[in-house]
Amino acid sequence: MDAPFKKLALAVTFSPTSRALLREAARLKDLFNAELLLIHVGERTTEIETRMIEMLQSIELSLPNVNLEWGLGDPAQVINSVCIKNKIDLLIAGALEKEGLITYFTGSIARKLMRNPPCSLLVLVSPKDSTKVYNKICAGVSFGPECPDTINKTFRFAHFEHTKEITLIREFQVPGHSIAVYDGVSSNETQSNRNRWIKEEEDKMRVFLAEHNLNTGIKINLVALYGRSGWEAKNYVQQLNADLFVTPAPPKKLKLVDRLFQHDNEFIFESLPCSLLMIKGN
Amino acid sequence: MTFTSNDITILLLSMAVMLFVARGMGELMRLIKQPLVIGEILAGIILGPTLLGFVFPDLFNGLFNKSQSSEIILQGITTISVVMLLLVSGIEVDLGIVIKQGKKALWISIMGILFPFTLGFLMAWSFPQYLGNTSGELHLVFALFVGTALSITALPVVARTLMDLNLFKTEIGYLIIASAMVNDLIGWIIFSLILGMMGSASHSLEFGSTLTLIFAFIFIIFFVGRRLFNYAIPFIQKRFSYPGGILNFVLILGFLSAAFTEYIGVHAIFGAFIIGIAIGDSVHLRENTREIIQQFVTNIFAPLFFVSIGLRINFVSNFDLGIVLIFLVLAFAGKIIGCGLGAYFGKMKTEESLIIAFGMNSRGAMEIVLATLALQVNLINEKVFVAIVIMALVTSISSAPLMDIFVRRIARKTQFRNLLRPELILFGELSNREQIIAALSQIIERKLSLSMDSISSKMIEREQSFPSGIANYLAIPHIHMKVREPVLAIYISSKGADFMATDGLPSKAIFLLVTPENDNELHLKILAEIVRKFQDLNNAETITRAKETIELINMLRESNVY
Repeated sequence: MDAPFKKLALAVTFSPTSRALLREAARLKDLFNAELLLIHVGERTTEIETRMIEMLQSIELSLPNVNLEWGLGDPAQVINSVCIKNKIDLLIAGALEKEGLITYFTGSIARKLMRNPPCSLLVLVSPKDSTKVYNKICAGVSFGPECPDTINKTFRFAHFEHTKEITLIREFQVPGHSIAVYDGVSSNETQSNRNRWIKEEEDKMRVFLAEHNLNTGIKINLVALYGRSGWEAKNYVQQLNADLFVTPAPPKKLKLVDRLFQHDNEFIFESLPCSLLMIKGN
Repeated sequence: MTFTSNDITILLLSMAVMLFVARGMGELMRLIKQPLVIGEILAGIILGPTLLGFVFPDLFNGLFNKSQSSEIILQGITTISVVMLLLVSGIEVDLGIVIKQGKKALWISIMGILFPFTLGFLMAWSFPQYLGNTSGELHLVFALFVGTALSITALPVVARTLMDLNLFKTEIGYLIIASAMVNDLIGWIIFSLILGMMGSASHSLEFGSTLTLIFAFIFIIFFVGRRLFNYAIPFIQKRFSYPGGILNFVLILGFLSAAFTEYIGVHAIFGAFIIGIAIGDSVHLRENTREIIQQFVTNIFAPLFFVSIGLRINFVSNFDLGIVLIFLVLAFAGKIIGCGLGAYFGKMKTEESLIIAFGMNSRGAMEIVLATLALQVNLINEKVFVAIVIMALVTSISSAPLMDIFVRRIARKTQFRNLLRPELILFGELSNREQIIAALSQIIERKLSLSMDSISSKMIEREQSFPSGIANYLAIPHIHMKVREPVLAIYISSKGADFMATDGLPSKAIFLLVTPENDNELHLKILAEIVRKFQDLNNAETITRAKETIELINMLRESNVY
């Protein structure tokens, strides 16, 4: 089985979590036998270069083993363009689990990247120095054109990581369904519809797995959830205490209106349930 | 003014009769699969001056006497009902869904408002006398009203129709609901402004202050209120008695908000609708809570409101065929052409566009609410009111059957049971995987005029990397191709062939499926349905023992549904 990502990138700062992020990036580099590009947004001075080298050495990395790009300007934009220029497969970033109301709307660097990722993006929530193994992975199943790639990469990631358990989550909602009771439909009928649809979605997931030859040795759970897309999955992942949640990247850049009238990924971005891997389609 | 014991007795009796007849007629409508609101309007016509008042005038006057006190009560019931109806309409508007549905929903809803609105406005502006406005008063406001009256789609009727036609969980269903939500939103905002122009609301404030307060109200509700509701709703649902606590919370906010907008010079419905949207937006508002709120309004206030309409108006003496026909033509033409074009611009197929157009055409309860408010402020007369009510009923009744014509055409092409065609079923003794695929490809080739090699070779190539044997004698070689609709061919092999099924059993029922490119969901749905038929080993054995085409088709159509 091929590694899911061959070219990794990490935006390096000198924040308290930088070392942990770097350690995780180095671990994934080794795990996937991939290249690692470090991006630093800021002026290139001798002092910063020295600090960078020191930080790399502290986790037993050195510059010949990793590449380093410098850039000036808006951090999210610089990181985006460097990733596109270098054809990066996976960008690694750290993020707070939850941000203040104003920052949520204006967007931190990490949130900006999540809303318009240049490539697949691994967001590590409050990374710590100790190595984290993703034993429990959840992945969102949309059945859209991007779905096979997302799920395929999830399984490849899990294979390399020796993950113990993958839970595939299919969220769906039928808008306006509860309005039908207004016109004489009973609550029993609406409930029975929901139950039937949940079974249908579970069946479709089973077929999807067989169809894409994904019945590997890893334990697989299938869950269909009725409710708002993004919100239901986020809560489920949180309750499950999963280590990683994989979703497809937003098909187009998410804007302020998407934050005002939240849907799908915006529910997840509002408060991350765990580390997040967003897969960007080819 | 005081209520005597007699007044109270008659009031309670009349309410009981209204609810009883409304329920009876509503249930009758359910039996014949028609919207509940039709039964409730008919109940009003039966109990009102049109029938009961005509046949038994004394009984009618005794039950629904037109005393000052009863008028006030009726007015009160209408106001509360309208506020409640708009509150629940708002709760069901999910702007996230609208944004998610994207351009298609936007095209349908914009065209679905713009076209009927323009048509109605121009007609009422140019020829007001044909639409019952003979005095020429309030020329502009009347034209705006007619435009709006033709634009709003009734979500509850649409929802029921989608359920009856099994369209809820389809792309078309999502689009219709999302577009109807946008229709509602724009339509009710326009109508609130019209009522404001009419001066129906209090003029205690200057226009500039009213405008400032409207914006401040919307801003506070959407940016602060929604956040607060997200904290309050889970707290109430968890800590307070259920569903009483949440029901009270919604009603208190609804009435407060309605009172506020009425005070600042915009009609109460605006406040109820906007707060409804903000409450309904909360992810914490459970689905069954929404249903409870809907039921509370549906079973008490909606019947009283709709029956009271028939009590006020004589539908026979105020029936004007000319006005009715003009409204019907404008309503049908406006919505069907508007939404149909919108769907077409949104790159929907012709049949899908027509389903959406007919679905969006149902006006139902909402138009009647709108007409009642217009009648209350003397913007329209009784004849126009009757015409609008008839238009609302006719568009609601006709929506499902007209949609059904095109739904059947699409379903014929996509539903599993309709994919089972005698000419695409083979029985034989072939036991070689490649030969079976070639045989099935050949009969599909005849059907689709495709190159057999293209299907056969692609299938065999795919089979080598992903064997299609499932289990319980089943194999489903399948492929996406440039076809307009899915095609299914079946081979029943008496010997069975090795499709490398997971249980090691030979595959005796081979379903070769070709589906359109980029329709993964349909593809998976059909695959899942086939797999379900073979989940039970006994069932699977029975199917593989079929000897005749019709026998096999019947078995597959009948077996193992949830």
